[in-house]
Amino acid sequence: MTMTIDIETLVADLQPVRPVSPRGGVLIALVAAAVVVAVVAATLGLRPDFVAGDPHPVVMMREGMLLLLGFASLAAVVASARPGVGQSSTGWRWALAAASLFPLTSIALSMTSTGFPMDVLFSVDGPWCFGVSIGGGLLIGAGLTLWLRSGAPTAINRIGWLVGLTSGSFGAFAYGLHCSSISVFYVGLWYTGAIMLCALLGRLIVPRLIRW
Amino acid sequence: MKADDASLQRLMALAQQGDAVAYRTVLVACQRWLLRYFSGRIVPAQVDDLVQETLASLHSKRASYDPSRPFLPWLAAIARYRWVDQLRRTYRQQEDELHEDVVGADEEESIAARISLDRLLGFLPERQAHVIRLVKIDGHSITEAALRSGQSEPLVKVNIHRGLKKLAALIESE
Repeated sequence: MTMTIDIETLVADLQPVRPVSPRGGVLIALVAAAVVVAVVAATLGLRPDFVAGDPHPVVMMREGMLLLLGFASLAAVVASARPGVGQSSTGWRWALAAASLFPLTSIALSMTSTGFPMDVLFSVDGPWCFGVSIGGGLLIGAGLTLWLRSGAPTAINRIGWLVGLTSGSFGAFAYGLHCSSISVFYVGLWYTGAIMLCALLGRLIVPRLIRW
Repeated sequence: MKADDASLQRLMALAQQGDAVAYRTVLVACQRWLLRYFSGRIVPAQVDDLVQETLASLHSKRASYDPSRPFLPWLAAIARYRWVDQLRRTYRQQEDELHEDVVGADEEESIAARISLDRLLGFLPERQAHVIRLVKIDGHSITEAALRSGQSEPLVKVNIHRGLKKLAALIESE
């Protein structure tokens, strides 16, 4: 019977393997993020208040939120490499909800008499924020995607979104260490835009690379 | 003999270390389990092929098993993934038949709609569930499904389209 032959073929092909460890994925993402931070620090410089150890409260909230979102989605990504019916990792949804407070606050404030500040919309730094966050995100996302290929993710499309969300969050975090803005509107527009674009790129690119 | 999850867990951990005897036992037990799992979920003629494909996937992705966790949920996840993939391929072959009237039912929707199909079909009106089962699971053509269900061919197509959209929405909310 052909199926018996196939089993023998598989047994004959058996080699010892080391079980996929989520720590590997976390390590790759964090090393890539550290590289992006180092490049930002070396080329653009860090915020003076951050270097002095006394960052502005908005900067602390922004960076904290980005780290929270990055780690929560990273946890879901690395968990997905070892599939199992009935197991789910939903912490990223709460982190995403918390992170959406920045754009939602921007929208709410824009509806007041002052409206959306035009200097934020036409900010010279905005495109930099966008470009560096996405560029850094691509590096982090590439490392994470390569690692994921050794696992067996089954919710391919969702993982694509999450890889994008993770890499976008860490990429934006890295740029945020340089960013001079302390405006909530700025975060709501440029940071949110960069993370959303990274998530979209993740959804479009990653599933093709991790399908098995 | 039926292997219990604890035994499979232990044997698979040994297989990951290169133990061929343990691995053979795991594969034989998985083969039995998969035959039962796929029966009724897919056209009978495709069950054997799907079992083999799933065993091959198990082999290539054996490093993704965490030996500290139960074995069967891992096997079920791999089986479900291969099953959805098989349905997608079958659907692509059948797509020509549906092409004219299913514009807008994008591929993702159709793929997603196949996950947990058995359970989810229970949420649909009977006329939609019936034709989806006839065409998607039993492999009948639209014409045959129309004859068996007593619905006109355009109505079969519309009911499949509407049913798949509802299923996709149900899956997303899971």
